Amino acid sequence: MRWTRGLLYAAVPVVALVLAGLIGAVVVRTTGGHPLEVLQVMLTYNLSSPDSIAGVLSRMTPLILSGLAVALSFRAGLFNIGVEGQYLIAAFTASLAGIYLAGLPAALHLPLTVLAGMAGGALWAWLPAELKVRRGVHEVISTIMLNFIATSLLLWLIGDVFRDPTQAGTTRVRMPEIAASARIPRIHGLAELLGIHLRPSVALDWFFLVALALAAVVYLVLWRTPFGFELRAVGLNPEAARAAGIPVPAVQRKALLLSGALAGLVGMSDLLGYFGYLDIDFPRGYGFTGIAVALLGANHPAGVVLASFLFAFLQRGGLGVQALADVPREVITVMEGVIILTMLITSAVAGRWLRRWERAHILAGQSAGTAGGGRTRPDAPGREEGHHAGA
Amino acid sequence: MPAHDAASPALLVGLVALVAATLRLSLPVLITGVGATFTELGGVVNIGLEGMMLFGAFCAAWAGITAGPVAGIVAGALAGAALAVVHAVAAVRFRVDHIVSGVAINLLATGLVRIGSYRAFGTATTSPRVEGLPALPVPYLGDISPLVPVGFLLILVVWYVQQRTPFGLRLRACGENPLAADTLGVNVEAMRMTGVILSGLFAGLAGSYLVVELNHVYVEGMTQGRGFVALAAMIFGNWTPVGAALASLLFGAAEALSIQANVAIPYQFLEMLPYVVTLLVLAGVMRRSTPPAAVGTHYTRGEE
Repeated sequence: MRWTRGLLYAAVPVVALVLAGLIGAVVVRTTGGHPLEVLQVMLTYNLSSPDSIAGVLSRMTPLILSGLAVALSFRAGLFNIGVEGQYLIAAFTASLAGIYLAGLPAALHLPLTVLAGMAGGALWAWLPAELKVRRGVHEVISTIMLNFIATSLLLWLIGDVFRDPTQAGTTRVRMPEIAASARIPRIHGLAELLGIHLRPSVALDWFFLVALALAAVVYLVLWRTPFGFELRAVGLNPEAARAAGIPVPAVQRKALLLSGALAGLVGMSDLLGYFGYLDIDFPRGYGFTGIAVALLGANHPAGVVLASFLFAFLQRGGLGVQALADVPREVITVMEGVIILTMLITSAVAGRWLRRWERAHILAGQSAGTAGGGRTRPDAPGREEGHHAGA
Repeated sequence: MPAHDAASPALLVGLVALVAATLRLSLPVLITGVGATFTELGGVVNIGLEGMMLFGAFCAAWAGITAGPVAGIVAGALAGAALAVVHAVAAVRFRVDHIVSGVAINLLATGLVRIGSYRAFGTATTSPRVEGLPALPVPYLGDISPLVPVGFLLILVVWYVQQRTPFGLRLRACGENPLAADTLGVNVEAMRMTGVILSGLFAGLAGSYLVVELNHVYVEGMTQGRGFVALAAMIFGNWTPVGAALASLLFGAAEALSIQANVAIPYQFLEMLPYVVTLLVLAGVMRRSTPPAAVGTHYTRGEE
């Protein structure tokens, strides 16, 4: 029964993706495209050469980190919807370190710059953490507000305070260039060693491997350390965790700070590996895609990596589809929302159905053992499920 | 004081212009914020209001261009409600986490309007000009949109419906104590879904106003977080329609001030104001906030 149960749970994302694919096919039809052709274009565009595969992988980097940040908060029963604001603030603090610590050797400058980013992300998560722990302010509302505050603050900081003086008088609103010693190197050298030649235009950098390693670290922390156990216990049932002597507020604070620090890494590949400066058009939206990634990945680091691949595949494929199949790439933006909804509804329905199935099994086992034991139903009618966001 | 007398008319003119701008600019947030009380009093968090407003704006532009301003406004409101049905089904019927479903609605809306705009206007980002309703000439304030008085009337209607009708009482019961409401024979699921759909209707109407009356054009991303500001206004207004409306006017005044030149504060800080104020309110620095007791939770009748 245990195996059947595991298989049934594993089938949920598959069913959800199939459903999402069917809805996506309908959307593609309404825009005048052909679903199978779109799929085929995406497959060839993304997977036909080492360069295109590397292109997909480079898009995975921010999604893995964002998904990990969301998943970690989720596991603690918190909903860090503020990854978006956290990585923007982090991009700014990292830029400061990248610009003003110039002169240090790269072996010191790059790690310090990345740490400055993590600190910026953690700082922006610290506010909602304190508000949550001290004042009971729901982290969803506070992080939404802080996302907007971050956007406005960043526009001011980039445009009015730290604007690159050499760009004054032009339409380019950006901060000065980050020193070469703080830039993340491309992965091409390593690929060459493995016998894969990547074109210089491919943007895959070392931070992809850092992101993968961090997925492993998050797994180890959550499932192989006492702190991870406490974190998950708080997430599953804060009341029970409190009764067991776990300091719930302290764990919640640490979880949000860790999530913010991870969020601080989301923009690093774009900032230090690609652009080399922070401007007002810095990529947005990774925080929200991260929510989709975490959900589809069942808040597990391995799932997050797989889901990141899917979303990176869709995003890059969208560009190919627009160019080669004449279908607007917005179809793909819709797909993110559709996948979340089908995933949620499938797991909600399947969860209910599976619980009923399990109960039937248990009851069958019991009536076989103690005939007519007079067990009442475990839950009285009208039982209220009080689980909050992120349960 | 002759100097003062000379300055007064200019000051007065400036003040009247500011009031007129405040009314114009705060209306989208006001309508959405007032409508948001329906979903929250019923116990459902709806952060998809932003997407519903955006979808409403697009549909209003589409219908407004093909069939005139009235059709546009109605279509926008209905579009907001249609998207709210998705949220209601997911969050209430299937008991999906309210926040997650709201995030999905926003993603869905951004994609839908881009596809729609691409199909309807040939470009994913803007529409042709949308004609508005004939303006109402008001003494001193100049020409204002007929939707402005409608919006203010809605505040009273919403207050009356929530506080003085059986429907309002039942809705509030579902947000405060769904078990008690259920025991008394109230259909909790239906009530909550109605609350969500009403909030979507208002958000869609606000989107219509943005396109048909305020800007006369649909532009991608034109809601600019107003759905979230509306949520902030509703919290600042302590979950009451009148409070939400007053908060919206305050935020609108800040926006109007930031547009009128010669303000010493960088405009980015005026942009932040609604969010900062809401954080302060929630933190209890300014005033205690009292959300509905069961907001954000699911209600299960125990048939599982």
